[in-house]
Amino acid sequence: MIRSARRDRRPTLRAVLGRGHLGVALLAVGLAGLCVTLLGVLALRVYANQNLHLIARSINYTVEAAVVFDDSAAANESLALIAANEGVADAKVFNNEGELLAHWQRPEDGVLAPLERSLASSFLVEPVHMPILHQQQQVGHIEVTGQGRSVLRFLLSGLTGILLCMLLSAWVASHWSRRLFGDIIRPLRNLASVAHAARRERSFDRRVPETHIAELNELGNDFNALLDELENWQNHLRSENATLAHLASHDSLTGLPNRAFFEGRLSRTLRTAERHQEYLALLFIDCDHFKQINDSQGHAVGDEVLVTVAARVRAQLREHDLVARLGGDEFAVLLTPLQSCEDAQRIAEKIVASMKLPIALNDGTSISASLSVGIACYPDDGHDPASLLNAADAAMYQAKRARRGQWHVAHTESSAADFEKRS
Amino acid sequence: MVAVSTWARATGAALALLLAALLLYASPSRAEPAASAALAQQRGKAVTQVVLGIFSYARWPSEPAPLRLCLIGPTEYADDLIKGTEQNSGKPLQTRRLLADDPQTAGACDAVYIGKLDRGQRERLFHALSGRPVLSISEADDPCTVGSLFCLRVSDEQVTFEVNLDSVARSGVRIHPSVLQLSRRRAVQP
Repeated sequence: MIRSARRDRRPTLRAVLGRGHLGVALLAVGLAGLCVTLLGVLALRVYANQNLHLIARSINYTVEAAVVFDDSAAANESLALIAANEGVADAKVFNNEGELLAHWQRPEDGVLAPLERSLASSFLVEPVHMPILHQQQQVGHIEVTGQGRSVLRFLLSGLTGILLCMLLSAWVASHWSRRLFGDIIRPLRNLASVAHAARRERSFDRRVPETHIAELNELGNDFNALLDELENWQNHLRSENATLAHLASHDSLTGLPNRAFFEGRLSRTLRTAERHQEYLALLFIDCDHFKQINDSQGHAVGDEVLVTVAARVRAQLREHDLVARLGGDEFAVLLTPLQSCEDAQRIAEKIVASMKLPIALNDGTSISASLSVGIACYPDDGHDPASLLNAADAAMYQAKRARRGQWHVAHTESSAADFEKRS
Repeated sequence: MVAVSTWARATGAALALLLAALLLYASPSRAEPAASAALAQQRGKAVTQVVLGIFSYARWPSEPAPLRLCLIGPTEYADDLIKGTEQNSGKPLQTRRLLADDPQTAGACDAVYIGKLDRGQRERLFHALSGRPVLSISEADDPCTVGSLFCLRVSDEQVTFEVNLDSVARSGVRIHPSVLQLSRRRAVQP
């Protein structure tokens, strides 16, 4: 269970690095501490034994005369004088016959006495035997047993010192490793956040900042280069898309929007007009005798005529009006906003009039063309795109039938009178 | 003057005197018990040890070889000492008895072990020895104020000694300080 839980929540880099560092630091500090402790204990043992020998030697010199004169009281006095002030637990002086001449024993005191005794017996090479020489002749010998107190005190203080040093080293090591984490993890976090932004928000403008670690810096640079390429690619795609979208909704010859675009705009504008109780008008424009021009003068001239017609119609319109080529020589104009249907008629008049000037062709000749315009008004002639288009279409044919190069308002109840008057 | 006379030492000396008097005036024909003989032998051994110990801590202006020890006057505990031919250090020791007023005493001895002498004999002896590097040890009854460098105090438990520092300084024989220390400590002992 623990294993699966662990797999679910992956450890962070900081945790992994931290655990690794902690392990290494503990191992290093522990090993160093162990080595220092072992060496220290060995050195302490050597010195403690040397010290005990030194004490034995000084006892030796002090009691020499007393042993020579076989003076037990003097020997005891001299022995006590030295032993009491040194780390000695027990000291005996023997003469050459093996008789005990003097004996000194430290009184047992303190709670640590048993510990001191066992430490001394395991730590020191004892008891120390040393012959008493007088004029190169042995006159007796001494037997000295060390006391563990000074050794114990030294050992404890040494261990405390080592422990403190280890704690200090561990603290310093953890401090440094924390700094190291910062150095490693900060650039990685930056990289991750930039990558995240690029993936989630498609924001390719952010870049990974520089860092002083070579590998991470290189990684960041490569990542930035990749982002540059992605950004370029994205921009390229966007412009490509825009071009394609334009191509899909516009006529390639005249550059005007096509039928699909126009119908989309018409239905949207109708909804807006309905909501705001506004007027709008739809003009249907057809080029008179365009088929003959096409047939007699060729498609190139026909195209020129269409381009000119498109430009002239566009020139008569206001900024928010829309002109589209529905196909062949048919154009449609959406006039919005509009005060009244009469305004549409005025614009239609201007459009028809704009064709009075002959069209100059590329080959130097010119050609005359005229337009027939059908007008349908909202809300008078229909409430939906289809009915409006039909009405305008019908009006345009009426205009064509009556006389080419004319405009005509859709035949509805409200405009019937007007129609009569105009025709 | 180093010799310290305390009441205790005085009593000790008085006792020794009494003992010596008893031994002297008691009829020699009366056989001492065996235990007493063994005791005397033990004392003699202790005296030998102390005397040889003192020799081992003494330095003459010129190292005598062999060391000539003269026993002067009637001695009580020197029976063991006179058999000795070797010092503690292993160097040869020459021991002989001299009469109290022997004229060659001053020239023939490096050390003298003085037994029981009367006042005039003592004075003449020390007069002869004065200015010479001779180590003198009194066996008994010496308050250690004038004359001998060392004065023994023989008891059953122990043989102790006192040092007359003035005499030591005058004699020209150097004595190791640890012996002086030992003697001073002994002086306060009963």
